[in-house]
Amino acid sequence: MPTKNVIDERLSKFKNKGKDPAKLREKRISVSVELRKAHKNENFLKRRNITLSSLPDEEALSPDYCSTEMVTPLSMEEIIKDVTSESRESQTRGCQAARKLLSQECNPPLKEIINAGLLSRFVSFLSMDDEPALQFEAAWALTNIASGTSWHTQQVVEHGAVTAFISLLASPMLHISEQAVWALGNIAGDGSAYRDVLIECNVIPALLARICPDTPVGYLRNLTWTLSNLCRNKNPFPPSSAVLQMLPSLIQLLHHCDKDILSDACWAISYLSDGDNERIDVVVKTGIVPRLVELMSHKELSVMVTPALRSIGNIVSGSDLQTQTAIDAGILNVLPRLMRHQKASVQKEAAWALSNIAAGPCNQIQQLITCGLLPPLVEQLKNGDFKTQREAVWAVTNFTSGGTVEQVVHLVQVGALEAIISLLQVKDVKVILVILDAINNIFMAAEKLGETEKLTLLVEELGGLDRIEMLQNHDNDAVYRAAHTLIEKYFSDADIEEVKVDTTVDAFAFQSPDVKRTFEF
Amino acid sequence: MGKKQNTKTKKDAQDTQDEPEEFVVEKVLDQLAWDTCPLLADNTWEPEENLDCPELISAFLEAQKNVKEKPAPVKRKASTDEPETESKKKDVAEKPRGFARNLEPERIIGATDSSGELMFLMKWKDSDEADLVPAREANTRCPQVVISFYEERLTWHSCPEDEAQ
Repeated sequence: MPTKNVIDERLSKFKNKGKDPAKLREKRISVSVELRKAHKNENFLKRRNITLSSLPDEEALSPDYCSTEMVTPLSMEEIIKDVTSESRESQTRGCQAARKLLSQECNPPLKEIINAGLLSRFVSFLSMDDEPALQFEAAWALTNIASGTSWHTQQVVEHGAVTAFISLLASPMLHISEQAVWALGNIAGDGSAYRDVLIECNVIPALLARICPDTPVGYLRNLTWTLSNLCRNKNPFPPSSAVLQMLPSLIQLLHHCDKDILSDACWAISYLSDGDNERIDVVVKTGIVPRLVELMSHKELSVMVTPALRSIGNIVSGSDLQTQTAIDAGILNVLPRLMRHQKASVQKEAAWALSNIAAGPCNQIQQLITCGLLPPLVEQLKNGDFKTQREAVWAVTNFTSGGTVEQVVHLVQVGALEAIISLLQVKDVKVILVILDAINNIFMAAEKLGETEKLTLLVEELGGLDRIEMLQNHDNDAVYRAAHTLIEKYFSDADIEEVKVDTTVDAFAFQSPDVKRTFEF
Repeated sequence: MGKKQNTKTKKDAQDTQDEPEEFVVEKVLDQLAWDTCPLLADNTWEPEENLDCPELISAFLEAQKNVKEKPAPVKRKASTDEPETESKKKDVAEKPRGFARNLEPERIIGATDSSGELMFLMKWKDSDEADLVPAREANTRCPQVVISFYEERLTWHSCPEDEAQ
């Protein structure tokens, strides 16, 4: 700000094409602020190295932004010598050197370190409460080994790290406790087996005990992520006693404002809601559904959409009652936008959720109509990528199966029939069968109105007859049979007389402008 | 006093409304043919026998029925073909920086060579955190972004000034 006049003076000497001096200045100031921020962040991240190591650390002192190389790193031999020595100082030096190797971006030497037999040493260092620097380096090194393949994680576990890490959770040194959280997250993330081993060792109460109002955000992020891994994986699902223990804290974390915490908490919910309706019930009973819907539409937190949408998708795959909680929470106001989302995966998941709501009772189907879910559905059928179209087709079929005649008529009116007919040329056999099922259902609706002839004409007009006839020659047996049945029932001349039995059609007032419009475009 | 006057006018209004009432009933009946009249579901409406259009009513009732008298379609559970979040994470105190973050470059917002080599401050798509990338990397990975940066700052003048600083 004090330099304003000086800058203006300099700028006045320049011939800038349409550049506003004030804007240029603003740009410059914001750029230097950004540069200072970037510089500060770089140094902040390097603080760990400064505080914990009493040895000269090249990275901490260097203003160089892009170098992560160490000056004279210890060789593997030297590391082994140090770690296996009896001197605390050497052990710490060796451990730190190992940790740095294990933290490098490209090909950290996990196997080498393991094969050098250093793991049992590292694990023994974990219990040295009087040597926090050593504890920390060992914890960090083991964390990174556990971040590898299942085999790597297995090595860590088999050397007895689990109980040591769980004890470390209670460490008064926050950074050490946090490192233990991280390591345990990696072990839990390996799969259901180790996840349940951790649960058996009472990891959950130890973790939950670390959540308090002054817990720093960074710590909470790691903790939430570790909790989510304890909720993760199937065959088997985590024991329900463990789930019930974790849920209250997860709900709490879902009301935090940090986006990483929210994202991981949401993923945890998505894992917990995946499964049978009893599991869904446990989640729904917490009353979290409105918050999930809120997070789905949170404009700033685009990272939230996927896990929140997945959670809701899981919930509406449950009972009608469970689905109703989502509808009551306003999901139908959010879905249309997500069905038009720029990310194909979001569109697909939204269509999937819609298809499950359409598998519900006709009063829920009615809400789909009133809340304007049909136009985006038709758009997805026409313009979505294939995975999205596949889900959208399910939505149509479920709709035609559970809907009233009126509702089905409406579906046809908005263009869904035309759209699914276009999709009859896909290669996916299942999709073709689902579409043929939908067409069959629509004919059944027409039968109730005595309008099958009209529908036949409409389908023919839309090119459906040609496609269905071609499908009679399809390789797949089920497709050929379904197509053939449709043709025989509704498109065969021999049947026209039977249809005409419903000639009371003329007496019906349903030949009203409304219904006539049904099969006219 | 006001009250009296009010009741009087109310009464008047009611009197005139007696006639329209009948008219409205017929109109609603006509409506039955075109719309699905929800009033029929109401108990306060007249019983079926008083309406002389049984076909209309049965047609209406048919329309309210489900298309299929069979068990409702089964809901489909999640298919996990979507990559979720990472199950394991390596702890690197130095977080991936620059292009290693695998984000798409949006635009360059500054440049500096205080570290000895020319670096660009890169704003990435879908992220608030800008960070520094070496110019030589940016020149090959996103040349158009680099060109835009330079073009935005092109000036024609007599004094040689470093625009970027």
